[in-house]
Amino acid sequence: MYHTGSFIKGQSLIYNLDPRIKLAATICLSVFILWVKPLTAFVIGIALFCAALANGIHLRTIGQALKPLLFFIVLIFLAHALFNEGEALVRIPRLGLSLSYTGLQQGFFVVWRFLCLIVAAILLTLTTTPSQMIAAIKHFLRPLKILHVPVDDIAVMIMLALRLMPILFTEKERIETAQKARGYNLRQSGFIMRIKAFLSLVMIVLSGVFRRADELALAMEGRNYRRQERTSLVELRLTSPDYFALTFLGIFSVIFIALNYYFS
Amino acid sequence: MILLENVYYKYEPEGIEALRGVSLQIRDGEHLALIGPNGCGKTTLIRHFNALLLPTSGKVTVGGHDTNEPKHQADIRSLVGMVFQNPDNQIVGMTVEEDVAFGPENLRLPTVEIKKRVVEALGRVGISELVVRNIENLSGGEKRLVAIAGVLAMQPRYIALDEPTAFLDPAASTRVLKIIDKLHSEGVGIIHITHNMAEAALTQRIVVMNEGRVYLDGTPREIFAKFGMLKQIGMQLPPITELLIKLKESGLPVRTDIVEMEDALVQIRSLAGKFKD
Repeated sequence: MYHTGSFIKGQSLIYNLDPRIKLAATICLSVFILWVKPLTAFVIGIALFCAALANGIHLRTIGQALKPLLFFIVLIFLAHALFNEGEALVRIPRLGLSLSYTGLQQGFFVVWRFLCLIVAAILLTLTTTPSQMIAAIKHFLRPLKILHVPVDDIAVMIMLALRLMPILFTEKERIETAQKARGYNLRQSGFIMRIKAFLSLVMIVLSGVFRRADELALAMEGRNYRRQERTSLVELRLTSPDYFALTFLGIFSVIFIALNYYFS
Repeated sequence: MILLENVYYKYEPEGIEALRGVSLQIRDGEHLALIGPNGCGKTTLIRHFNALLLPTSGKVTVGGHDTNEPKHQADIRSLVGMVFQNPDNQIVGMTVEEDVAFGPENLRLPTVEIKKRVVEALGRVGISELVVRNIENLSGGEKRLVAIAGVLAMQPRYIALDEPTAFLDPAASTRVLKIIDKLHSEGVGIIHITHNMAEAALTQRIVVMNEGRVYLDGTPREIFAKFGMLKQIGMQLPPITELLIKLKESGLPVRTDIVEMEDALVQIRSLAGKFKD
């Protein structure tokens, strides 16, 4: 079962790439996806989907990642399709809305860009362990050390955030189950009651998380954690596949820019 | 050696004393069980062993280093590893290898050495196959072993475990206890908090705490022989000892200072033999 941001063990070219190359490529592709013309974005998207499938990422996994975002995807599409000023295909006079061809086209491309960004993120997180990712982020932030930015602390903070996130959800589910077990039914409550229940749930979850964070800080101290430079399990070293990937990314960037001018 | 001299500890300046004049000596390689009723100061005490807590008064020395000296605290924490009661509150990494590597990374060891220690520590607790597994997908027993491996990767001389079998099913408890026993046989000193008297009976020495003080200190036989004193503070006896006491109370000539199954069987067999005759 795929959870957002989780790593799945596998073996392919992307898995073996240096995490810095993967992170830089994802950032670069994301900029392209948002910046280029719709048709170029379409080509980038096709290339991304092919890359994902070639690296053993199943359509089902992509589907699982998209499931929680489905509501927003539909909302974005409808907003563009119904509120665009174009020649109306269908009119809904009661609501003052009209479905236009331009709107549908615009909605499709906006959603497509959104999907491309998600696939790029999945490709990165599925093939990169959190420690590799943190090592890459730490590497890119390294110049900030001159400005006395605590880069090592930031890296540990990211690691802890990633670690505590699933615990937060588990804690929320546990409390909700405990409430249900005592006969509490949120569905039968009114809007104000639901808001109140939500706030009290947030308070309980937060107090639990703070207590846990306190204990975790103590455990980290017990394992000799101090505000100092740390070494890492991950060794960052560029090898020939990384140089090949860089060249490949460079060539594709040129093609995408050329396509962008061609379609404009 | 871990040496505590008249240690007092208060969590808050105006609060009550959690430890009241504890003096204790723990030798290298010793297997010690720390027992006592809830709130008697067991966890507070073991947190003094690796300088997570510092005494309000008195002195704690580990391997000759005073825990009050900040310059020695890093060395002390490498000497005494701490396994917390809830592994979810101790595990820092997202994957098993990341978490086990956390301690060696803090010791600023080179990458090659970190990898070596991760492999070694996971091998010692018998979970090498979990190396890249996501922590969230592990069972309670496996998480407990990851927490122990995380501490072992720092190559400590002692490990202090706070109720290592709490919330585990019998199979997982047995697995954890076997690992603890194996580590002890490899020369690691074990300080083991437990509420399970059968677990405590398997150690070399038992320290009973009550109201922040050392109430009793001795071998399992010596401690369980003083069952009256244990009952006074609400402690129970190992089921085997309890059975022998009941037999003796009913007039049968059995010894009551027995804590192990094999010895109890010998007693009961000899008793059965006498009745046959």
